[in-house]
Amino acid sequence: MKKNIFSTNKVQLLIFLLPAFLIVLLFYIIPIIITVYVSFTPMRNWNIDKYFNVIVGLQNYNRLFSLITRDPVARQVVMNTVVFVAITLAINVLGGLGLALANFFIDERVSTGFRTLWLLPRMTPIAVYGLLWYYFFHGSSIGMLNSIAMSLGLIKKPIAWGQEVIPWGPWSIIIIVNGFVGVSFGMVIFYSALKSIPRELIIAARVDGASNWKLTTNILIPLLRWHLLFVTTWQLLSLLTTYAHTFLLVEWGVVSRTYGQTWALYVFNTAFGRGEQDQGLAAAAAVILVIFGAILGWITVRALGFNKMITKPKGDI
Amino acid sequence: MAGNTTKYAIIGIIIIIIIAIGAYYATQKPAQTTTTPTTTSSPSPTTTSSPSPTTTTAPPKTVELTGDFNKDIIAVGKALEANGISEVKFTVWAAGDPNSVMRIYGIYEAAHRINKIWADNGINVKITVNKYWISDFNQLYQEYLSKQPLGQAGDFFVDSYVFIGSLAKEGYILDITPWVNKYWDSVFSDFYKPLWQGMKVGDKYYGIPQDTEARPLYIRKDVAKCIGWDLSNVADLVKEGKFTWKDVYEKAKEAVSKGCSEWGLIHRKGSAHPDLIQFIYAFGGKLYDPEKDKLVLDVPAVYKWLYVEWKFAQDGLLPKDIMSWDWAKQIHPTIVEGKTLFDIGGTWYWTEWQTKDYYTDPNTGEKRGLKPEEVKEWFYYTLFPAGEEGLKPVTLSQPFAWMINSRAGEQNPKYDELKDLYHKLAFLIVVKASDPDINAIHSVISAHVPVRKKATELLYDKDWINKLVNLQLDLAPEVKDNIKDIVATTVNEINVEFLANVSYMLDYTHMAPNHPKYPALADIFAETVDQVLRGQMTPEEAVQHIISRIQADPELSQAVEIVGEIPGGWQFP
Repeated sequence: MKKNIFSTNKVQLLIFLLPAFLIVLLFYIIPIIITVYVSFTPMRNWNIDKYFNVIVGLQNYNRLFSLITRDPVARQVVMNTVVFVAITLAINVLGGLGLALANFFIDERVSTGFRTLWLLPRMTPIAVYGLLWYYFFHGSSIGMLNSIAMSLGLIKKPIAWGQEVIPWGPWSIIIIVNGFVGVSFGMVIFYSALKSIPRELIIAARVDGASNWKLTTNILIPLLRWHLLFVTTWQLLSLLTTYAHTFLLVEWGVVSRTYGQTWALYVFNTAFGRGEQDQGLAAAAAVILVIFGAILGWITVRALGFNKMITKPKGDI
Repeated sequence: MAGNTTKYAIIGIIIIIIIAIGAYYATQKPAQTTTTPTTTSSPSPTTTSSPSPTTTTAPPKTVELTGDFNKDIIAVGKALEANGISEVKFTVWAAGDPNSVMRIYGIYEAAHRINKIWADNGINVKITVNKYWISDFNQLYQEYLSKQPLGQAGDFFVDSYVFIGSLAKEGYILDITPWVNKYWDSVFSDFYKPLWQGMKVGDKYYGIPQDTEARPLYIRKDVAKCIGWDLSNVADLVKEGKFTWKDVYEKAKEAVSKGCSEWGLIHRKGSAHPDLIQFIYAFGGKLYDPEKDKLVLDVPAVYKWLYVEWKFAQDGLLPKDIMSWDWAKQIHPTIVEGKTLFDIGGTWYWTEWQTKDYYTDPNTGEKRGLKPEEVKEWFYYTLFPAGEEGLKPVTLSQPFAWMINSRAGEQNPKYDELKDLYHKLAFLIVVKASDPDINAIHSVISAHVPVRKKATELLYDKDWINKLVNLQLDLAPEVKDNIKDIVATTVNEINVEFLANVSYMLDYTHMAPNHPKYPALADIFAETVDQVLRGQMTPEEAVQHIISRIQADPELSQAVEIVGEIPGGWQFP
C-alpha cells in the first residue's frame, strides 16, 4: 500500500510551521541580513544602484566608533539612551506591577474603568498622543504646565522645560511620555496573571492572617516571576528601539535635539532625517543596537533565573 | 525526534531558498523580454537585416538640439508623434513661500506654450503636467532623495541650488551641459552670470537658474522713530561699512530698553543656512576653498558670528528659543506688528507680508495681510551690515534652480526607447519656463530678483505691468486662475519699486557652496547656534563643539578644512 506522505507527523508539522516560518523569514531574518549587509556598504541618499554592491569593510563601524568617542552629540545620545531606558524600564515594570496589584485589590467594577483609563495612551494614535504632550510641555505660556505653574505663582515666566532645563527637563519629558504608554502593558500582563492565581492560595493566606502587604510579597510576587521576566525583557528591548513619540517631540521643538535623542532616534535621523542621509552608517548603528539588545536581553533572562524557571520540577507531580 | 525535526527544518529552508531563487529568475525574465523588441523586432532598417523591398524609415529615437527653440521643439514633437506618442506626462515638484507658485506654474505655462506650437504645426502631441508643492525646501529635498531611486519623484525638481552637488553626485539629476551650451547664445547668455556658478559641479551644468534673491536687514521705521533714530542715510552707511553689527546691537538695545519694541532682532528658525551664514561672510570669513574643493570652517568668523548671536540672546534682544519659533504664529507676526526693531529677512518677505494674514489689526482684532502702503511706511531695508569696521556689507543669495530628474519622462510609454527624447523635451520645457515674462511674473509676485536681463526690463515696462495687473497677458487659463489672487495683492508700483531698489544688493552677494558635504556641516551649525542662543554653550565652547564634531567624523573631517583660531581679546560690541 502506497503511503501518503502528508500522513506523516513530521511532514504535517513542517506544513503547519511553514507559514509562520515564512513570516519570520520575510519580516525578521531577511531585514536583519540586509541591515548587516548595508552596514558594510557606503549606502547613502537611498542610492541602491550606486552603493549596494560596494563593500567598504568596517568603515562605517570605524566612523561610528570615532563618533561615539569624539563627537559630543553622539556621546550625549549614548547617555540619553542609558538614562531613558533604565528609568523608563523601572517605571514600566514597577508601575505596571503597582497598577495591577491596585486593580487586584479593588472592586472589579471599579478596576475595569481604571484599567481602561490607563490603556488610553496605548490606544491613542501616536501623533494625537504626542500633540497632547506637546501642548502640555510647550515652552511658552500656551503650555498647560507653564499655565498651571504661573497661575499658582510657582514661576513668573514660562519655562521651556524640554529645552532649557537640561538635561533632566528633556529626559523627564521623554521618560514620562513613553512611561505612560509602557506602563499599561505591564499592568495588563500582571493583572491577568494575578487573576489566574488559584483562589485557594489567597484564601489560605487570608485565613492565616496575611495582610495585603504580606500577601503581595510572599504569595503574589513570587508567583509573578515568570511574568516579571517577560515584561522586563520585552520592555527593555522595546525601549531600546522605540523612537516614534520622541521623534515627534524633538521635531516639534518641545524637546532638545541634543538631550532628547536616543540611539534608536539617532539611527532614524542618520538614515532619513538629515541633509545627508547616511544609510550605511545608520545600519551600522542599528546593528550595534541589536547586539546590545541581545546582550542585555540575555543578561536579563539570566539574572531573573529563566533557566531555573524552566527546570522540570523535582519529585512526582 | 529532535534530530529529525532539525533535518526537516533544514530541508524546509532549502526548499524556500530554491523557491526564492526561482522566483527571482522568474521576475527577471520579463524585464529581458521587454527590452528585446526594441533592438530585434524594430522595423528600423538600421537595426535589422530584413531583405524587405519596401523599406520604411524608422521613427527617430532622438533629435539633435540646435539652440533654435522653435526648430528643436517641433523636431521633438514630430519624433514623439512618429513613435506613436500622443500625450507626454510630467510632474513638477517645487517648494517655497506661498507666493512662489510660478515655480510650479512656470512649467504649466511652458507646457501650454509648447502645446500651442505643436498644434499650430499640426503635431498631435500634448504635454500634461501634474504638481506637488510643499513650503519647506529642505523637506522637499529629503523626499526627492527617498523617492527618486524608486521612480516616484518629480520630473522637474525646483529647489535650492545648494542641493545640486549631492544630487549630481548621486546621479539623481541630469547633466545638461551640452544642451546649455547649445542654448547659450540664444537664451542663457541673457542670464546674470554669477548665478551660473551655483548651477555647476566642476565644469558641468546640472541646473538652470529659476530665481534669486537678496536678504535685506529690515528695520521698523516706527520703532526707529520711537528711539529718535533718523534712518535717512543708514543704507548708505551700511554700504560704506560704517554701520556695522556693533551699531545694530546698540540700536537694538536702545529700542528694547526704552520700551519701543519687545525685541531688538528677529531672524529665521530651524536652520542656520542660509540666513545666518551671512554672518560668516560679514566677518570676512569664507565657507569654501574652490582650489582644494573643500569646505572651510573659518574659526575667527564663525566665533564672531556665534558671539554676536549669544550676546543678543543673553541681553534679551533676541529670543533664546527663536530656532524653534513658528513662522506663521510667532516670527512673522512679531515683525509685522512692530515688536522688533531689526529682522534678518529676505526680499520675498515684502510680498509675503501682503498676502498672508500675519498682522492682527488693532482696530478690528482680525488677522489680515499688510497693505503695500503699510509695508512701505513701516519697513526700511539695508544690506546685511559688515561685522565690524573695515569689512564690507554682504547679502546671500540662494538661487533656486530648475533641475531635471535623471529619470524624467519615465511615466510615459516607450521610456527605454525614447528616454533621450523625453529628457530633451524636459530641458526644452525648462528653456520655455525661463521666458522673460514668466520669470518676471514670478519675480514681481514673490519679490524675488529676476535671473535674466530681459525679465528685469519688463519690470520697468509700465504697459506690461498694467497688463499683468489686469491679467491681460497671454497665459494658460490654469495659470491665470492660480495666480490671480496673488497678482491682485502684489502687483503694484510699490512692490515693483522695491524690487528695483534691492537689485543693487546682488553686487554684494555671496552663495553658500553646493558641496555634497555642505548639508552635513549646515546641520552642525544649526544645532550649535540653537544651543548658543539658549545659553547652553558659550561662543568659545560652541566653536570647540563644532570642531570636535567635524573631527569626530572621518568623512566630514576630510571634506572640511579648519582654518584660524578663536581671536584673543576680540570684543563685541
